[in-house]
Amino acid sequence: MISILGRSVVLAALLLATLGAVMSFAAAQRGAIAGVARARRLAYLYAVMMALATGLMIYALVSHDFSVSYVAQVGSLATPLHITIVSLWSSLDGSILFWGLVLGTFTAGAAFHLRRSAPDHVGYMLGTLFVVGIFFTFLIAGPADPFAPTPPPIPTDGPGPNPLLQNHPLMIIHPPMLYLGYVGMSVPFAIALAALFAGRLDRDWIRSLRTWLLVPTGFLTMGVMLGGWWSYEVLGWGGYWAWDPVENASFLPWLTAIAAVHSALVLQRKGTLRAWTVVLVVVTFLLTILGTFLTRSGVVNSVHSFTQTPIGPAFLAFLGFCLVASVIVLAMRMDTLASDPDRETLWTREGAFMINNLLLLVFMFTVLVGTLFPIAAELVRGVKVSVGEPYFNRMAIPVSLGLLLLIGIGPALPWGRADNRNVRRALLFPIPAAIAGLLVTFAAGGRTWGVLATGALAAYAVWVNLDQGLRLSRKRREDEPWTEAVGEAVRRGARRYGAYLAHLGVIVTFVAIAVSSSYQTAQEGTLRPGESMTVAGYKLTFERVDARPEPHRISDRALMRIEHNGKDAGTLEPALNRYDTRMEPIGTPAVRTAISHDLYLSLMNVGTDGSIGMRAIVTPAVVWIWIGVFIIVAGTAICLLPAGLRFSRREDAPEPAAKPVAETTA
Amino acid sequence: MNRKVLFVGLILVAPLLVMLASGLRHDPREVISPLIGRPAPEFALLDLEGRRLSLADLRGQPVVVNFWATWCQPCAAENPIFAALARRYAGRVRFISVIYQDTPQAIRAYERQRGSWGPALVDPDSRTAIQFGVYGVPETFLIDAQGLVHEKVTGMVSFDGLTRSLEAML
Repeated sequence: MISILGRSVVLAALLLATLGAVMSFAAAQRGAIAGVARARRLAYLYAVMMALATGLMIYALVSHDFSVSYVAQVGSLATPLHITIVSLWSSLDGSILFWGLVLGTFTAGAAFHLRRSAPDHVGYMLGTLFVVGIFFTFLIAGPADPFAPTPPPIPTDGPGPNPLLQNHPLMIIHPPMLYLGYVGMSVPFAIALAALFAGRLDRDWIRSLRTWLLVPTGFLTMGVMLGGWWSYEVLGWGGYWAWDPVENASFLPWLTAIAAVHSALVLQRKGTLRAWTVVLVVVTFLLTILGTFLTRSGVVNSVHSFTQTPIGPAFLAFLGFCLVASVIVLAMRMDTLASDPDRETLWTREGAFMINNLLLLVFMFTVLVGTLFPIAAELVRGVKVSVGEPYFNRMAIPVSLGLLLLIGIGPALPWGRADNRNVRRALLFPIPAAIAGLLVTFAAGGRTWGVLATGALAAYAVWVNLDQGLRLSRKRREDEPWTEAVGEAVRRGARRYGAYLAHLGVIVTFVAIAVSSSYQTAQEGTLRPGESMTVAGYKLTFERVDARPEPHRISDRALMRIEHNGKDAGTLEPALNRYDTRMEPIGTPAVRTAISHDLYLSLMNVGTDGSIGMRAIVTPAVVWIWIGVFIIVAGTAICLLPAGLRFSRREDAPEPAAKPVAETTA
Repeated sequence: MNRKVLFVGLILVAPLLVMLASGLRHDPREVISPLIGRPAPEFALLDLEGRRLSLADLRGQPVVVNFWATWCQPCAAENPIFAALARRYAGRVRFISVIYQDTPQAIRAYERQRGSWGPALVDPDSRTAIQFGVYGVPETFLIDAQGLVHEKVTGMVSFDGLTRSLEAML
């Protein structure tokens, strides 16, 4: 019953997307306001259909309707309710359905938010989104149909979702965040293509582009970080990033999205980098599709890979279509988006933005080559190779230091024509901070050049970004009455406060990554009950193993008593979970997080004689990686909120950023 | 039409697509084993009759170690292949199997039905499987006379492929 209903709803959605694509492009070409309005209503309807289909699937999952093939594949009577709901995205077919829901929501959201924009822009945008929608709805209707009826005999119980996904609450929020980021990149892509089709990228549309670029970028930032956090908390190897192809797949569009966010700012401000920004946005979208293809087709080896599936060829065809169509559209229309004449020199803020873009692109290419190299090697030489961490790190460290340097000098540099003396003063002023940073790092035990450089550059960048943020509010208070000034400063400057806050988040994250990856202490040992091991000031005493049966697994928990510098610090219970499915036991490490460092215990094995294998790792500063990313996302949100409000309230107000620059350093 | 953009774009895109298309033929479960060329992890396990068998005792001739379970369909399918090869290479190659996440009772019932081609070892807590990096079953490791891992086969073995590998090792 659910099968038939679900399939009908998906087919209706496919029909709507097709109709919507045709109608949108036709209306956009004629600039027909009524036609675009009709297309917009189709977008809402499409979103409703996707929501309905997802609702039906969740209902099938919750009611354990094993006549639906997806439920038979991932459902299990023993799985707790919240995991059952989450298993919507635990396997391939369901995850594509969830993708459709997110795409529908974004399509409807953009249609509503930009309803007052120029009809040709909106029409082309909706048309592009509908074309993307056609593809994903087609996948749900055919190659990855989650509603397919189970061939008889219908089972009375199922295997349950992948045990790895049942292990930690982070798995509940990591995939949706990532999907919101990934799928959301369709909207800026559609906005960029609309600009190309219409041959116009004016102020209004640039602002829309920036807003809709920031939204998915924020989600993607969050999603990538949560993935690292999850792997840290669950996988038990003590790390958070391994340059796994699928991690790379999420990181690639993030790099170009960050580049695009910055170049869009230059475009908004100076009218330059017009075509460049469009190219970056298009590349970002293409990388999300490439990344999805890599994950879903089984082309690369990865812990994340869904196994070989029928959707591989379909995805490749869509990727090919998107790549070729993007190249052709860019070739045909890019010249219509000429930039305003510029008078750039290197030592201006625009110059810093350009170098930022360059570094991010170099980084992106490095990661892309490293990710695709195994495929190329297999094709050309017929050998299986894997590209390891050292390759990526060799590039990641200098590029990250370069970006950290730019976060420092970029905001210190003035926009536009720069006077050499001012530039020198602006750049030399924070040098004492850098020296202080260097000394503090050295005093704290930093000895490698990478860590010392990070300390110095981070201190420089913190100084500049704080100084810029505070300078802004000081200026406003001097000119105007106090109350008005603060309101005005927050309203107008929110974007900049947000940006400086995001920069501070990046600095925190970079420093935490540098420190945590340079100063890890690990210890392994076999313990019998009552025996202890020590690691970095901790004494760990093994008391006993409890085998705890839970509905969907048996959990062997090793009770460890912890003493830190001779003082009692409670207990930790790293576990090995055995599921009734066909995988080896899965460990759940136990982590004791403190502001300065983490104690990380991983249970390796439980012997028949009652002894255990224990791996203990002490890593400094890990928690600051997550905190830093939360700060980045908060900064992004601050950038967005008032800009969005202003946009819908005072549509034709002059853009404040276009006024003569008041807050440059001088 | 900006020919330069078109030209550069297509030059970038075409090889990428060819490469990705070629990648579709690839099996993602074939995880490269870091054990190849290294000494095989030692183990000393009991078979179903309680006899102790250690890998070190078998040094001097090639050993085929197959990880399997009764609930695994491909394992059942490769059973006759191993049986035939074990007969063919009797006295020259040792064939042993390690039971993966299964019960001795189920294995006994299975062997009564389909026969046995070598000792089936019980692996408490999958410790040996973990040491070998077994990801799923069936997986088969070919270990040479010196105790080094020569090859790992993920998924079902083929008669011809295994024969070739064994000939190369002898």
